[in-house]
Amino acid sequence: MMKKDFWHNSKVVVIGSGSWGTVLANLVARNSVETRLWSRDEEQVRAMNATRVNAKYLPNTPLHERIQVVHSLDRLFEGGVRVVIWALPSSACREQAKQFARYLTGDEIVIHATKGVEPVTLKRVSEILKEELPCARIGVISGPNLAQEVARGDPSAAVVASRFDEVIECGQVLFTNDNFRVYGSYDVIGVEWAGALKNVLAIASGALESLGLGWNAKALLITRGLVELARFGMAMGGKEPTFLGLAGLGDLLATSNSTLSRNYRVGMAIAKGEKLPDILSRLGGTAEGVKTATTVREFAVARGIPMPITEGVYQLLQGNVQVGEAIRVLMTRPLKSEWST
Amino acid sequence: MEPELRDRGIFRLNAVRPNLIDDVVARTTAEFAGKPAENQLSETLYLERRRLRNFHPTVFTKGRKDRDLRLYNDLQKGLLRSPGEADRGAMLERVTRHFAEEIGGHFDPAIYRIASHAVPWGFNWLLNAASVRRFLPWGLTESLESRINVHGEIDSLRALSRRGTILLVPTHQSNIDSVLIGYIIYLLGLPPFAYGAGLNLYSNPVLNFFMSNLGAYTVDRAKTNEIYKSTLKNYSIALLQEGIHSIFFPGGGRSRSGAVESKLKLGLLGTGLQAQIQGYQAGKPNPNVYVVPMVMSYHFVLEAASLIEAYLAESGGHRFILAGDESWQVSKVARFFWKFFSSQAGLHVSIGRPLDVFGNFVDEEGRSIGPNGTLIDPKRWLMTRGELCADEQRDREYTRELGRKIVDRFHRENVVLTSHAVAFAFFEMIRQKYPDFDLYRILRLSHAQRSRPTDDFLSYAEGLRQRLIDAEKRGDLKLSDELRSGSGAMSGPSPLPAWIADGMAQLGLLHESPVLEVSEDIISAVDMNLLYYYRNRLSGYGLSILAETGGPRKSPGEHDEKGFLA
Repeated sequence: MMKKDFWHNSKVVVIGSGSWGTVLANLVARNSVETRLWSRDEEQVRAMNATRVNAKYLPNTPLHERIQVVHSLDRLFEGGVRVVIWALPSSACREQAKQFARYLTGDEIVIHATKGVEPVTLKRVSEILKEELPCARIGVISGPNLAQEVARGDPSAAVVASRFDEVIECGQVLFTNDNFRVYGSYDVIGVEWAGALKNVLAIASGALESLGLGWNAKALLITRGLVELARFGMAMGGKEPTFLGLAGLGDLLATSNSTLSRNYRVGMAIAKGEKLPDILSRLGGTAEGVKTATTVREFAVARGIPMPITEGVYQLLQGNVQVGEAIRVLMTRPLKSEWST
Repeated sequence: MEPELRDRGIFRLNAVRPNLIDDVVARTTAEFAGKPAENQLSETLYLERRRLRNFHPTVFTKGRKDRDLRLYNDLQKGLLRSPGEADRGAMLERVTRHFAEEIGGHFDPAIYRIASHAVPWGFNWLLNAASVRRFLPWGLTESLESRINVHGEIDSLRALSRRGTILLVPTHQSNIDSVLIGYIIYLLGLPPFAYGAGLNLYSNPVLNFFMSNLGAYTVDRAKTNEIYKSTLKNYSIALLQEGIHSIFFPGGGRSRSGAVESKLKLGLLGTGLQAQIQGYQAGKPNPNVYVVPMVMSYHFVLEAASLIEAYLAESGGHRFILAGDESWQVSKVARFFWKFFSSQAGLHVSIGRPLDVFGNFVDEEGRSIGPNGTLIDPKRWLMTRGELCADEQRDREYTRELGRKIVDRFHRENVVLTSHAVAFAFFEMIRQKYPDFDLYRILRLSHAQRSRPTDDFLSYAEGLRQRLIDAEKRGDLKLSDELRSGSGAMSGPSPLPAWIADGMAQLGLLHESPVLEVSEDIISAVDMNLLYYYRNRLSGYGLSILAETGGPRKSPGEHDEKGFLA
């Protein structure tokens, strides 16, 4: 048997039926014998099985025929599951993981698709999963992947990072098709931090957009934002090339220029003077950048780390400043060398 | 020790030895089966010839060199003929067998009986002869046990030694370590452990006799060829699989800086995992290998001066004149024991919480406990693509994780002594005074520059002690009773607080000259290198004002090599 066949013949569960979870389930279903998509909402499960579409998050994309949508955890893990795709929001990640832990036996491959970090502890999602699940082989999938574009079948690519070759191999076999490429990486820390931090910059980018500024301003934000992101990520243990790769610059470019990005939309709305709770309540999904901005900003302040763009986004989200004022603060910082820290 | 243990583990070594060597040779040659033997053999020949050119035999080692030369002459002749005339496979097997025989130890129960009676008797005699208490009335004797404080997971260690195979991983500061560990294992009532001893130790005929017959196997760090390294690993796997408890110093050699190890050699460490996998595959009932960290804390390290010089020479790239031969000298060892026994110095040994081969804790019944506190089945972690098997990349990663965990446990189990705290406090105080100086300049300060008013030192040291107490509450490290309570065994009539007086008196007690001296209201460092060495026992805990590399992770941002978060 070829190595690949093992993964093709494995049962896969996708936990989380938001837009990205649904898209990932569709990708996997093309490559495996059985894919089960879990939703915590029983009503949604019934509707999705009946209409074969995720009406709330992905109304224009039919579910692949090999996907079963399930709610019961016993049913979800019935009959030996080999691969778990984790696509839940980062909030309550730990509680969710505790709930799933007893259904796993330890030999499953876990790949998560969550772009956030735990408040206060700053633990990455793979760290939380490792602490709460009985599994050792954990990885992350990340990259410039706006769910709707991948769902349409536009050419896209992602990176699967894990310390284990078998996790990378599993991810490549299960997700790849003619319109979706998967690269491998060992830099789990870099990929996860890049994914979390770029959401903060996407908010900034949305705010900038609402002022109708040109490409110079956008380029300035993305470039200096990338510097801030990469320095912080490297200090946390990430590797430099990762931040210039798909999960870093790649994802940053995609989310900083598209209204398909929820974080970007949050930035646009806040710049128009709307209140954060109102924006979040009608967003239809989680904007991870909002929490990440607060978490990272608190850490940066406590440690005296200069992160001016993150600080600006935080103040903006708190409603303490207007966009114009935030930009003025950034533009009038002391002059320095482009390379200095 | 219980009688039932006497027909298990190492007591069977001599009986199983021929099979064990055959097994090692078979496994090692199988590993090279897919690769062109020609290249491996010629590389080995080249590296071995080069090693032998620099090897100067004594009367005891001449025989070994002659045997080596004979083998390599034959090897060369063989390689010059065509593979049809001289079978490469057979040549590979001959070389592997040569290495395996050299590595393979013996165990003679009769010699063990004699040694296990003679050594403690000898130690106790020495202790009482050397102790000042010999002036005490007859009948009052002191035992070595009272001087060695063994604490930690002793019961788990005993329990697990019956359930599976123990891989003891101690910190390593001194050549004395292996003798003391052997003695502690005896004190705990455990059967002797196998351990790899440097080939150079075997040049001493007396040591050679005892070590070769007490289950030690030889490790020659000068042999760098792949065939040798692979043979050595397979030998270790075979021992563990046979249920023979083993000792590895995972730091490689002795800690040169004096710090608790934070970088480990993972090659031999990974043999525990492989032994367990092969045990499962062979259907053995108890294939589990339990990794038990052990940390020893000394007030005094015999080789401190030469170790720290070697460390500085290496890390600083400066020219240092190395102080003499690093090798095991019987006179040095004798002097250590004499001094150790004649002083009141004690030493602390922490037996750490046992781990499985992945770095998970195990309970007394040998079951792995996952990070979330529930039981884990190790077999599940060894299933890859549906099969229980070895997998080079996966297993390397598991072993890396085990190494990370051992480093973390080493730091947490480390018992900080009064002398370490005194050394750390004084050194840091001086460093704060000269914040712009690099380490090498600090070490070369003049006598006046490395003196501080006693009062300043006392308040600084007391501040450090409070931080250490907090660190112990967090579980970052352990403190000796003296340090925690602020008392001290060696206080006597002194104006200094008891623990500081104790620490100053104990600090490098047995070196030629003291490390710190007090005169009037001034404390001065006499030997900065030694002060630095003993101070380093507290490095890696984030206690210093200066950035430190190494040490277990303590907070987010620990990888901040470029100082972005500083």
